[in-house]
Order: sequence, then structure tokens, then C-alpha cells
Amino acid sequence: MTKTLIVAGVAALMTTSAMAQSIGVSMARFDDNFLTTLRTGMEDHAATLDGVDIQVEDAQDDVAAQLDQINNFIASGVDAIVVNAVDTNAVDAMSKAAEDAGVPLVYVNREPANVDSLPDNQAFVASNEIESGTLAAFEACKMLRSMGYAGGAKGYMLMGQLSNQAAVQRSKDVEDIIGIDMCNFITLIDKQTANWSRDEASDLMTNFISAGDEFQVVFANNDEMALGAIQALKAADYDMADIVVVGVDATQDALQALQAGDLDATVFQDAAGQGAGAIDAALALANGEDVDQKVYIPFQLVTEANVDDFTSKN
Amino acid sequence: MAETSHGTGGLTFDAKKRSWPNEANVFIALILILLAFEALGMTFRDQSFLFDFNEARDGTILNMARIKIIILQVSIVGIIALGATQVIISGGIDLSAGSVVGLTAMVTMSFAQTGMVNGNPNPKSLFGPEWMDLPVILPVLLGLIVGIGAGMINGLLIAFTRIPPFIATLGMMVAARGAAQWWSRGQPVSFPTESFAAIGDGMMPVVWFAGLAILFHLILKYTVYGKHTYAIGSNEDAARMSGIKVARHKTLVYAIAGALAGFSAIVLASKNLTAQTGMGLMYELDAIAMAVIGGVSLSGGRGSIIGTCIGALIFGVIISGFTFLRLDAYYQEMVKGVIIVGAVVLDQWRQQRASLKG
Repeated sequence: MTKTLIVAGVAALMTTSAMAQSIGVSMARFDDNFLTTLRTGMEDHAATLDGVDIQVEDAQDDVAAQLDQINNFIASGVDAIVVNAVDTNAVDAMSKAAEDAGVPLVYVNREPANVDSLPDNQAFVASNEIESGTLAAFEACKMLRSMGYAGGAKGYMLMGQLSNQAAVQRSKDVEDIIGIDMCNFITLIDKQTANWSRDEASDLMTNFISAGDEFQVVFANNDEMALGAIQALKAADYDMADIVVVGVDATQDALQALQAGDLDATVFQDAAGQGAGAIDAALALANGEDVDQKVYIPFQLVTEANVDDFTSKN
Repeated sequence: MAETSHGTGGLTFDAKKRSWPNEANVFIALILILLAFEALGMTFRDQSFLFDFNEARDGTILNMARIKIIILQVSIVGIIALGATQVIISGGIDLSAGSVVGLTAMVTMSFAQTGMVNGNPNPKSLFGPEWMDLPVILPVLLGLIVGIGAGMINGLLIAFTRIPPFIATLGMMVAARGAAQWWSRGQPVSFPTESFAAIGDGMMPVVWFAGLAILFHLILKYTVYGKHTYAIGSNEDAARMSGIKVARHKTLVYAIAGALAGFSAIVLASKNLTAQTGMGLMYELDAIAMAVIGGVSLSGGRGSIIGTCIGALIFGVIISGFTFLRLDAYYQEMVKGVIIVGAVVLDQWRQQRASLKG
């Protein structure tokens, strides 16, 4: 009697778990504004889908913790896993663990180093990072030209965490842009890291200002640092109309600064779109459907002209 | 000099036996570091670190912009360091300050938001329009209450459960960061009212830091609270036997440290016009390092607010100096590490010599 009950119970459990699909998500960190928008994008999208359960874990920027989370997801029998990698170079162990267990895996936002050799049931959803820094830097170059600095302009660059792929790529994009013929009138006086932080960027910019060199442009790897630079410049009585400041991310704070005429350009990365795309890809893989292994959500340049289109997006 | 007799019971002043205050050593270290950056700047950059010979931009020979940023960039952590100094003197340690900053910043900014931004409704509104444009005193008081609350929990745990301060405040460090992330589900909170923004505007963080430093210098030096703090840190059992209510006093010390962390969060959020869950990360370690560099002994009972302030200045000089030399952040962190360890080694060495002299 008890035996049949147990069997019936197990059978019932199995059928319910086959109906409701569960997705385990491991985020690199929770206390990052952009990643938070991405995370809420996933949660909101999953909430609109019938029978999709998602469980989100915070890896707190710890590679080892992230791998443990993946293994825990596999052990608890999730249908698919979404990973926002802590370290884009430390992804092989995660790919292998998921592949061995036959669980589909989707990397989101940060491009894994093994992106070109991903196993069949794994995919990557993100925006192409090379667009972001390039779009912002080129816009700055055009603005400086129209302001009459084509004969020579100087500037500073505020970089994100030096261990981060996006920081390295966006910095390289700026250097690439000021290397092309149209923009090689721009020279960088100095580039330093402000760790993505507004407070550190404001202090760093004030340190730059204290050197007393003249400059016309500030490239920031993200909006928070651009806003920090703007605060420092305003505190030192610079007229924001004379200095071109560009960032990346199109955060609400940055869009307000754009409308106020302090920030000159930023780049919109569709965080919520990436999150939703990752969930869709994970579900498709779990259902055995064909999925492009690289799904790119485009970046968009935001300037004073089109800022109103973005104020309700992030 | 035989005639330098003070005539007190036949005791003569002996210059050789005069003890050199610890703060003087730290101050000399500060001057040496400044001179090192001057020399390196002249050699490699052909520019002076602190002076401005070419053009008197501010009407002085000094590069005032650089001197200002040196102090400004350590003021907010400096306020935390004032609390850390008292905790360490009392024989404890507080690892929770940075996380308490994160949590307090989120809470205080949530009640300091303005209704309209550039003529549009605030896009980061957390509690809706009726919680906007509140009088500035409300978010400030709430922030202080959060800080004091966290500090009191630390103190009560340490005083009454007798668990080591390291563990109690480690727990608070993890829990407060979690609470900061939970508060708005990780979303940043931005756009404060003008009156709230004025708290940390311009050089105001320096004003707060200096004012609080003077206040706590006087409190530690001239009040019963200060004497008991040193007494407990030097020898807790002796302090208890001489009638000091150790448990109550420790709770008070941690509550004050929490209040200072909370206040620094208010200044930080106001300065940056935003609150983010990651704010204050590692601030507790920078604060402890400032105190230790300034001669506060981790074994308790020794140190001073003046020393901590000079320690903070050394921090500021190093950050600005490396930017001035256009060296990468990697080196900055490495040198910071060397200086922290070096300061403690020097301190140990001094203590041993002092005890040998008797």
C-alpha cells in the first residue's frame, strides 16, 4: 500500500516537473546596476511565460562560487542554466560540467572565451561589445570636429576594472577610433581606472584637473564614471558646453545628464532584451529546438537628439 | 645642559629620555612621502607635485587644486576611520563599516529624492510621489538611525555574547550588504533634493571630516568616555575591576562607530547624488589601514585621532601622487599594501624598543 503510494507520488512529481520548466541563473554579481536591469529583465520575462520557474544566484564575482552554483543547479535537476560569467576566461569548467550532464547552458552579456567552440546545446546572448565603445568614441570625435578642434584636441580616458573584458574592449575601441585618419587629431593625456565607480571617477578627474593641462574630451568606459567626471568638472568651474564627455550604458542618471546638456553621448545596451533573449534561448535549447549559437542584441547611440526615446527603456 | 632643571623634587629634564610622540613619526613619514613625489615629479615629469611655479592659478605658489583633492578623496573614508580608531583603541575591530555605508546610503537616499528632474517626474522614484521632497532632516536622521542600529547590534553581540569582534562584525558586513541589495532589489536610487545634495557638495566632506576629527579628538582626550576606551583596550580585566562598565561601554563604542559610518554614507550619497548597493565596498579595510598607519595599535589601548588623520593624508597623497606620475592602478595597490605592512612593522619595532628602555 505504502509502496504504491510512493510510486504514485514519484510519478506525480515527475509529471509536474516535466510540465514546469526550471531555469537556474548564476549572475556575476547583484550589486551592479546594468546587471540588475538584465536580471530583472529575465525575471520579468519568465513571469510572463507559463510554467517557467527561474532561480537566480549571486556569484559575488567569485569564479569558484559560480562553478559551485552551476554544479548545484545540475544536481537539483534544472532544465537549463543561464550564466553571466564572472571571468570570461574561466568558462571551460562550466561548459564541460553542463555538457557532461546534458543540461543546456546559455551565456549572457559577457562573451565567454570558448564562444567559437561551444558544445551543441550551449549558446551566447549579448550585444557585440565592439560596437559600444566605438559608437561613443566616434560620436565624440565628430562633435570635437564640429566644435572646431580638428587641428588638435586632448583628452582623458576613465577605464573600468582592468580585469574586465568590457573595460579592455571599450578602452581599445577608443584607442582604435583616435587612430583612424578622421579622428587622429585627438591625443590622450592619460588613462586610468576608476573601477566603474562614480565616486572614484570624480576623485580621479579632480586629480587630472589638478595637473593643469588643457583638454577638450573625456572618454568613460561607463556612464557612472562619465557622471563622476562631470561632477568634478563642474566643481572646478568648467563650462560643460566646452568639454565633450561620453559614456556607455544609457542609465537613467546618464539620460538625465544628457537632457541637462552635461553629458554629450552614451550608448544604450538593451539589458532587459538580453535577459529575455537568454531565457528564450535556454527554453528553446531545453525543448530541443535549433538555436543560433550567437545571438546579438544591437547597441544604439544616444545623443541629445534621440534621448527622449530612451528615458523609459532602462 | 645642566641648567634645564625644572626643580620638581630633584627631577631634571633629560632630553635623551624625552619620548617622541608617535604622531611625530607618522608626520615625518608623510613629509618624506611628499618629498619623494616632489623628487620623482621633478625627475620624470618635469613638474612639481605640490607647487605651481609657472602660473599662480589661485594666487598662491601652491597647487591648491591638488592639495584639495588629496584631502577630499580621503574625507569620506576618513570619517569611518574616526570610528575605527575608537573601536581599535578599545581592543576591538569593525569589519562592517563598508557594508553599513552601502545600506545607509540606500535608505537615506530613498527618503531624500526629489519629485521632479529636469521638469520630468523622478524616474528612480522608490516609494511614490508622497515620499518625495521631504525635509532634509528626515533622511539624515533615518541614515544615522540605521548606522547606530547596526553599530549597536555589533556592540551588543560582542559585549553580551562574548563572541570575538571579528566574527560579530563579519556577520554584520555580510548581512548589511545583503540588506542593501534587498532594499531596492539592487536598483540604484538617484536624484536627491537640493538641500540633501548640499551636505556633500564641493569641499563639504572635508569640513565634516575636520569637524568630526576635532570633536572626537577632544572627546577621546578629555572625557571619561575617552579614558575608559583606552583603559578597556589596554587591560580589559583591570578596567572591569576598577569599576568600568565594560559591556555597556563597548556597546557605546560600536554604536558611535556605526553612527560615523552612517554619517559618512550620507555624505557619500549626497556627494555622488546617488546611492548604489555596492557603495562603500572595502571602505572598512581602508579605514582600518588609515588608523594603523597613523599609529593605532591593533592590540588596543594605543593610538590617537591625530595619528589617524595623518594616516588618512598619507593615503590621499599616495593616490594623488600616483595619478600625478601617471602610473597604473596596479602599482598603487601594491604600494598601499607595502605601506600598511611597513607601518605595523615600524610600530612593533618602536614598541619593543620602548619596553626595553623601561
